[in-house]
Amino acid sequence: MAKVLVIGAGFAGHTAALYLGNKIGRQHEVTVISNRDVFGYVPSWVWVGVGHMKPEKTIFKLKPVYDRMHVKFVHASAKEIHPDDGDQYVLGDEVGTGKEVRLDYDYLVIAPGPLLNFAGTPGLGPENGFTHSICSLPHAIKTRDAYLALCDRMKKGEKVKIVIGTGHPAATCQGAAFEYIVNVHKDLVKKGLRDKADILWLSNEPALGDFGVNGVQIKRNGVVQKSDEFIKSVFNDHGIRYQVQTGVTKVEEGRIHWQNYEGEEGTTDFDFSMLIPQFKGQPFKYIGKDGSDVSSKLINPMGFVLVDGKYGLPYPELSQTPEAWPAQYQNPNYQNVFAAGIAFAPPGPISKPFTNKNNLAIAPAPPRTGMVSGVIGRVVAMNIADLIQTGKMTHSERMTEMVAACIASMGDSLWDGNAVTIVMRPVVPDRKKYQNEFGRDLFISHLEMGVSGAWMKFMLHYTFIWKFKGLLGWKLIPE
Amino acid sequence: MQNEQEFSKAEKFWMNFKLYQLWRFIVLNVKIYTIAVQSKWH
Ligand SMILES: Cc1cc2nc3c(=O)[nH]c(=O)nc-3n(C[C@H](O)[C@H](O)[C@H](O)COP(=O)(O)OP(=O)(O)OC[C@H]3O[C@@H](n4cnc5c(N)ncnc54)[C@H](O)[C@@H]3O)c2cc1C
Repeated sequence: MAKVLVIGAGFAGHTAALYLGNKIGRQHEVTVISNRDVFGYVPSWVWVGVGHMKPEKTIFKLKPVYDRMHVKFVHASAKEIHPDDGDQYVLGDEVGTGKEVRLDYDYLVIAPGPLLNFAGTPGLGPENGFTHSICSLPHAIKTRDAYLALCDRMKKGEKVKIVIGTGHPAATCQGAAFEYIVNVHKDLVKKGLRDKADILWLSNEPALGDFGVNGVQIKRNGVVQKSDEFIKSVFNDHGIRYQVQTGVTKVEEGRIHWQNYEGEEGTTDFDFSMLIPQFKGQPFKYIGKDGSDVSSKLINPMGFVLVDGKYGLPYPELSQTPEAWPAQYQNPNYQNVFAAGIAFAPPGPISKPFTNKNNLAIAPAPPRTGMVSGVIGRVVAMNIADLIQTGKMTHSERMTEMVAACIASMGDSLWDGNAVTIVMRPVVPDRKKYQNEFGRDLFISHLEMGVSGAWMKFMLHYTFIWKFKGLLGWKLIPE
Repeated sequence: MQNEQEFSKAEKFWMNFKLYQLWRFIVLNVKIYTIAVQSKWH
């Protein structure tokens, strides 16, 4: 009987666990270790952050799902990984008791999502800083409370400054921040308070609508349209000001410090700010049999797990080399260790990197969205099942092959809500397969705004929670 | 788009015209499902 251990129960880890449980859970031991005993449907935390969705509607308990899916659940926080042959295990601390747990494995899936690196920007974040975040449920709740308190001030006639975007020169996840800013706008319009707020989009993107994926390009009526023009129209339409090519370097109470592409240093004042932090890998210890630190065999300096990508290529070469992106998410040094979701180390950026004259790199890190994380979780799970059953992996999917569909809602009303629907294929441009300057399938890629997007977003919330609960037909729903 | 800056009145009309949006809802769902489900064959 093989032992498969999954660290983390988010989009990547939970998807992997469902497929593993379904495929091999009856014959083998599949275990998930997670520091939270609930699954969190992260995309809807945008709505939590403006007070439009109750937090409890975005989570459900994991244990009952795993009981049905033949998966063991351990509610603990993983801290050490011991990957050497013959003695492979993970150590963690049980949540609640603090008791140390040891979990042996034959195959390991590392999928604990990002460490939110607020410390990377002095003064950033809701705990030791002055800004807010929607990257975890407690943060989204805190953000909601601060936002609603701000609305109360506006109701009394106060004019306020709102800044939303990225809080580090190398932050990712611009899509979530974009969705939040348009939801804030829409909410203020509904509350009759929009004229009381000056709203600014502040981001490290090279251009509006870049989203860390080099923008989205589509062909409509024979003409190529780009996301920068589209998002500019959205912002102009909503009266949202924007400042891109900007890396936030420090935050003080009510004041953001930044540098831009030109190397200028400046400040922006705010009454309320939601800025996405830099993401790093979770700070696990990787320990060899002799007690030595083997982390260089497993992770890059940012703490992301090295897999079967080609690392170290300069951007111009990487952008022409789709096969540099990993296909099976398997660590080359420990072949029974896989990484899924945000945890795996991408071979480099997707958007064009930039370093200003002060040597500050202002460039979005590549996003690994929910869909990408889910697909990787499935590929990894199916390959582990393959290895156990036949000894040979048969699944692979690079980000240069993956499609991503993102729906950025603007309000949650089914009557007058709105959303931008973004579809791109592939997520990472493949300039060999798609021989246009963007390396994308311009026919499949799609950018559209309308009420239908709001219906889709609403539908996705319930459809995905259905899927993640492993209910009837869950496998028919794509990741 | 009317120009690089703003949506035209006609575009805004179609964004909110429910019958047309129902059609777009169906089209987008079919499109996204058919391309997303292809991933399962990898
Ligand atoms: C506000 C917001 C909105 C978003 N909207 C969208 C969207 O509309 N569409 C989209 O595709 N993507 C969206 N994303 C991105 C998407 O949520 C992420 O890509 C996805 O959650 C990444 O999945 P993951 O499994 O790698 O990490 P996570 O989902 O973060 O899961 C990691 C899991 O590991 C657990 N964990 C962490 N540390 C440990 C430890 N030490 N031991 C054990 N367990 C641990 C965590 O509790 C968590 O359950 C959004 C992100 C945010 C923040």
